[in-house]
Amino acid sequence: MTAAFTLSDVNKVYGSREVLNVRHLEVHHNYCYTILGPNGSGKTTLLRIMGLLLVNDGGKINVLGEKITWEKSQLLRLRRQMAMVTQSSYMFLGSVYYNLAYGLKVRGNSGTCINQKVDEVLEIVGMSEFKQADAHSLSGGERQKIAIARALTVKPRVLFLDEPTTNIDNKSIIEIEKHIKEINTTFKTTIIMVTHNLFQARRLSDKLIMMWDGKIIEEGGPALFEEARDARTRAFLSGQLVPTMI
Amino acid sequence: MDVIWQGVKEGFFLILSLDQELVSITVLSLQVSLTALFIAAFLGIPVGAALALKKIPGKKMILNIIYTFMGLPPVLAGLLVYLFLSSRGPLGEYQLLFTPTAMIIAQFLLALPIVAGLSARAVMTQRQEVYDTAVTLGATRRQAVWAIIRESRLGIIAAITTALGRVMAEVGAVMMVGGNIKGKTRVMTTSIVLETRMGNDSTAIAIGIILLSISFLITFFIIALEKRSFKDDSSIHIV
Repeated sequence: MTAAFTLSDVNKVYGSREVLNVRHLEVHHNYCYTILGPNGSGKTTLLRIMGLLLVNDGGKINVLGEKITWEKSQLLRLRRQMAMVTQSSYMFLGSVYYNLAYGLKVRGNSGTCINQKVDEVLEIVGMSEFKQADAHSLSGGERQKIAIARALTVKPRVLFLDEPTTNIDNKSIIEIEKHIKEINTTFKTTIIMVTHNLFQARRLSDKLIMMWDGKIIEEGGPALFEEARDARTRAFLSGQLVPTMI
Repeated sequence: MDVIWQGVKEGFFLILSLDQELVSITVLSLQVSLTALFIAAFLGIPVGAALALKKIPGKKMILNIIYTFMGLPPVLAGLLVYLFLSSRGPLGEYQLLFTPTAMIIAQFLLALPIVAGLSARAVMTQRQEVYDTAVTLGATRRQAVWAIIRESRLGIIAAITTALGRVMAEVGAVMMVGGNIKGKTRVMTTSIVLETRMGNDSTAIAIGIILLSISFLITFFIIALEKRSFKDDSSIHIV
């Protein structure tokens, strides 16, 4: 089976600074990947390029079996197989229902089908009673759960998570992590997550990608926490304070 | 103070008696201002959104010009329209001067920069996140741009209500291009000027009350359309 993502010599430059330079990366289907690294190491840039939200300056990218040409119809086709949840997920003005229905509406689904799907995902995240609530009145934890539910409505093959549990309470973190695991195992969705929380990375990840100064310095399974070869990876994974890159 | 109180009482009596002239002035005012506002919104919102979202050469300069024209003095707008529509002007052959159409054009010129400028500002304040959220949920570019405009609707509604206030309260331009002709181009603001000059304070006050009530009702209606988005209780708690 071909990899879900293959990146070769992909870079991104802002002004005179190269913020990303990935020689080779393969992301395989159905795994939960975590991208780790200090601030400014290029994690979010990598995630946004893989999510087709940011155009790379050089290199080749293959996503879900297609070589990326950044052509409009290709972007739409591939983006419709992915979803993203960010640190403080944006909620559209309106109700929770409006937010959950959005991805289905833009795909041209009918009212009954939308309603049924919305009820289904609200049930999954245990927030059925919030269906008609104002999306902007939700707490941080509730908002993130709705963001995950919103991503679930479109049944993505790949789910990107950029710091999905930063600044939220422990109870919500437990629930969100449970949902992430379920999505990965039940729906066979490939998860690519950026987190600063090393414990979370250890709890959720099948694969770890360690970044430093825009480059991938090491990859591996959870054993990386004990057996990292690179001194910088060892320092970071042991919780030592490492200097910020920017 | 007695004069004002007397004026208010007589004004209310005039309103309740549905004075024929008062009714026709009110109807014409509404026709002129709402038509001008509708056309300004129809053109101004897309122009504002395009200026905010598209890469257009000289965009900053265009925006600066629009912002300058937001403060366009009504008499100057009236003068411009007058010069274009007068018998010696380039559009003189259409004989539009001193007609409601001329008044609509003048008010449109006043409303357009406000709608376009404030709509552009409202769209510009939206964050990249809105576009990203829409496209990651499967929206096409067009759908994502529409999502940005939809999310800017509070600002756009503010733009429309501001423009409405401008055109409803405007007197200089409509006086110049409409001529305040009884039964033909007389509107509420020009009537207030005329009645005050003639010493008919009660009539002027009555028209003033109607003008204020209509402005309030229209604004109330516009906000009610989007009541879910407007919250009376501010989310900023100042202790």
